Amino acid sequence: MGDALLLDVVLFLPLAGVALLIALPSDREDSIRHASLAVMLVQFLLAGWLYLRFDAASDGLQFETRLPWIAAWGVYYQIGLDGYNVLLVLLTAFLGPLVVAGAFSAIRKDVKLFYAMLLLLQFAMVGTFVAQDLFLFYLFWETMLIPLFFIIGIWGGERRIYATFKFVLYTAFGSIVMLAAVIYLVYSLDATTGVTSFAFTDLYRARLPLATQVVLLTAFALSFAIKVPMVPLHTWLPDAHVEAPTAGSVVLAGVLLKMGTYGFMKLGFPLFPDAARLLAPVFGTLAVVSILYGACLALVQTDIKKIIAYSSISHLGYVMLGLVSLDLLGIQGAIVQMVSHGLVAGGLFLMVGMVYERCHSRELAVYGGLAKLLPIYSVFFAILTLASIGLPTTSGFTGEFLVLLGAFSAAWPLHLQGYSYPLVASVAAVAGVILGALYMLYFAQRFLFGAAKAPHQPLFDLNLREKSILVAIVAGVFALGLFPDEAMHKTELAAQQYRRLVAEERIGAPVASRDARSTVARADAVTQGARSDAPGSAR
Amino acid sequence: MNWSSVLTSMLPEHALLAGIVLLVVLDVARSGVRSTFLVSVLALAAATAAAAWLASIGYAGAPFPEHFSVSPTSSASKLIVLALALPVLLVSRDDFSEPTFHILLLSSLYGVCLLVSADSFLTLFLGLEIMSLPVYALVLLAFQRTASAEAALKYLVLGGTATATLLMGVALLYGQSGSLAVSAFADALTTRATLSTVGIVLIIVAFFLKAAIVPFHAWAPDAYEGATVPVTAYMAAIIKAGVLLAVVRLFGAAQMVPPMTDLIAVLPLLSIIWGNLAAMRQASFRRMIAYSSIAHAGYLFYALLGEASGRFQAVAFYLLTYGVMNVLAFSALPADRDDAARDRLDNLKGLFSRKPVAAVLIALSMLSLAGIPPLPGFIAKFLIFRNVIAAGFTLYGVLGLLASYLGIYFYLRVVQYLFMSPQEATRADGGSSRLAWTASFICLVTAILIGVFPGWVIDRL
Repeated sequence: MGDALLLDVVLFLPLAGVALLIALPSDREDSIRHASLAVMLVQFLLAGWLYLRFDAASDGLQFETRLPWIAAWGVYYQIGLDGYNVLLVLLTAFLGPLVVAGAFSAIRKDVKLFYAMLLLLQFAMVGTFVAQDLFLFYLFWETMLIPLFFIIGIWGGERRIYATFKFVLYTAFGSIVMLAAVIYLVYSLDATTGVTSFAFTDLYRARLPLATQVVLLTAFALSFAIKVPMVPLHTWLPDAHVEAPTAGSVVLAGVLLKMGTYGFMKLGFPLFPDAARLLAPVFGTLAVVSILYGACLALVQTDIKKIIAYSSISHLGYVMLGLVSLDLLGIQGAIVQMVSHGLVAGGLFLMVGMVYERCHSRELAVYGGLAKLLPIYSVFFAILTLASIGLPTTSGFTGEFLVLLGAFSAAWPLHLQGYSYPLVASVAAVAGVILGALYMLYFAQRFLFGAAKAPHQPLFDLNLREKSILVAIVAGVFALGLFPDEAMHKTELAAQQYRRLVAEERIGAPVASRDARSTVARADAVTQGARSDAPGSAR
Repeated sequence: MNWSSVLTSMLPEHALLAGIVLLVVLDVARSGVRSTFLVSVLALAAATAAAAWLASIGYAGAPFPEHFSVSPTSSASKLIVLALALPVLLVSRDDFSEPTFHILLLSSLYGVCLLVSADSFLTLFLGLEIMSLPVYALVLLAFQRTASAEAALKYLVLGGTATATLLMGVALLYGQSGSLAVSAFADALTTRATLSTVGIVLIIVAFFLKAAIVPFHAWAPDAYEGATVPVTAYMAAIIKAGVLLAVVRLFGAAQMVPPMTDLIAVLPLLSIIWGNLAAMRQASFRRMIAYSSIAHAGYLFYALLGEASGRFQAVAFYLLTYGVMNVLAFSALPADRDDAARDRLDNLKGLFSRKPVAAVLIALSMLSLAGIPPLPGFIAKFLIFRNVIAAGFTLYGVLGLLASYLGIYFYLRVVQYLFMSPQEATRADGGSSRLAWTASFICLVTAILIGVFPGWVIDRL
């Protein structure tokens, strides 16, 4: 019982932090920075404690809180940890303090508002992961937009207004379409089973005709695919990433993009399993296209941030590939790849931010031979580059390898039955690994080696704050690369549950027509009207 | 006639009437500004408290049978409208000090109270006119620009048109049914007689005019822009609420049948689209709010598509959140001696660096009006669209949601001005009075309460 409360504390701590910041006077900038860092650190410690206490052998929700919120609609405040979100919550809490510390010297304007927005964003992100009620999930999902709109729009680069509007309008469109689908889904559940509920577990039982499932899955997928982002819905990402301040980019790459894949895993595919299996080749193709197209685009960029932004598209393609493979290893690989990408891309964006603070340029061409100018920096950068490529012993290897293994073991039996398309897709995905090595090494070669040049000299190497941030990230990268067992153990049951849910046949009869229901509703209305008009309540 | 019932059930109206009479006396006696303000605040507070009391005990009574009745629903309607008027009154203190303003405002509120309790078209008409006539004068009151006179005249002419249309509709309906009861309207919705159908359409058009639904909306931007800030807030929050609550009462428990549903859905859908599109191009804050109110009127009429049992709840909750957020924006708007300058959107640029609290409050209001979660505006919109889709109008529901997407841009543009745009020239905003801050504070607390405990509010509607 006490532990259940702990998850609520983890969730609401950043919100309390916002209140704390409001109470602090805005000219005490250092106190504001330290207070935010303290809040994030405490949150991380608590989340770490929850992670250690998380029981891998238990199937259901852990640390669950369930309270009625809008009773009339069956909306509950229901949060909990399970194998799906336990790693992602830990990742979010882990990146929180790093993002805050990383912005100490970069953000000089409206400091109080900035950290308040970061904390608000943290609250919304953790909330999205732990929510177990669709209404609550949607609230948190959308709430993330507001702080990011501010973070990109106020502290961003030159084209920040364009970028932030593009980001918000893009994602809001997906959300609106998803909202329509959410309402329709809940109402269908109500009409077919008589259960008015937004709880995930209840919604998993909804039986819908195949055509309806396809439409609803498309609506959900639109929203999730924009967040991932999957080609061809990715065009907001480079703008948002490039214009956002470092903290914004790190959160975007580190956590936000995983919202999309998490959404597919927790909601999109398990809610509409028959449509998911039907459309699996489509999603698989889009995933492979994202892998290859993202990698090709990354190869030709001249802006450092854009290289990493496009590499994100490519890396998240693997996650999608793992999810649609429906192979246990592939699914677990997808989860590991989510966390790994969060660490690696987050770390790379932090590092770009550090060099940008020193030289104020993101053009790759103006840099060269940083290994001589910034030796310590270059060591960290090289490690993260290799992790991004997926070198064994780093987290990137575990994720990509498992995904590809899963994709192949799912495709091979089909190939033997004469259906070779998934196999071809998997082979193409392997080509993505090679492309990935190509663009990252090409990038690192021009950035770190060759003739030493930088637009602003002399350059000072990393200070203690920056070193600590990077040591933490690199430690995470190796931990996940060397000891993936621990993390995979905690997610195993969730992966099995996901596979079971998606494999299920859940086609149902069409929802009763309007006329049939409206007669019932009219009868209801009459009885209800009679009740409320009764003069018995008068004195 | 049961006098004790007249006394109890019309308590809110009596409080308002007492206030009006007292204000007239004070006016004649040439009493001070302070006492005038105090009297009208007290009268309004008493009326609000009375409505709250009637709603909480679930009072039902009909002091004038077949003309005027009080039910928990109508008490709740009155409570919402009167409570919204309270912060408007507080804000008005800076712009209006003469008793005339207060007399007009309280009279208009009296009309709203009649309107939401009306059982016959006679009372309905009376309420509608008592509500509207003072507003024509309010728009013109203390005007500083010739545009105000033009706006008031337009408003008057179109208001008159609406009245005439309503009366024609009622006459036709009476000719067919022989009854002046508002329930005749709901009954006629399901019959197919030509006379009553024409009557119904005319009545609906009259309400479209009053609520500014496309293509009957053209008066709204001019009237909103021409009026002074508190009057604009009053029109946006309270007049709109009165009209829509009357519409819900009119439709009663009637179930919508096809040709009517299209009438009820198509024009509001167009309103949502056009209101949101036109708002993008406005340079005046009040004009923008006017177009936004046209879009919001569309959502509100959408609520009629839902099952009859949930209509009042959806509309009342929406009006409450919409009103609170509008009044919040208007009360946080920095004061300025030059009314036209106060109205220019450009002058909001960089407000965060000058007046952070005001900027945050206006931003909250805009985001809520845009329906972005977790702000209360989202829950209100969700309630309406949930009812529409649950009633089987999936297509209209989806189209309405997509149309609401169009609205996000212009609300965010205001937020952009507040936080992200550098100010054009050095500007010194006038300080807001303590009363305006009180009004903002009331709205903010209400909004937070609605946002955190929406279930509690919904259960009570």
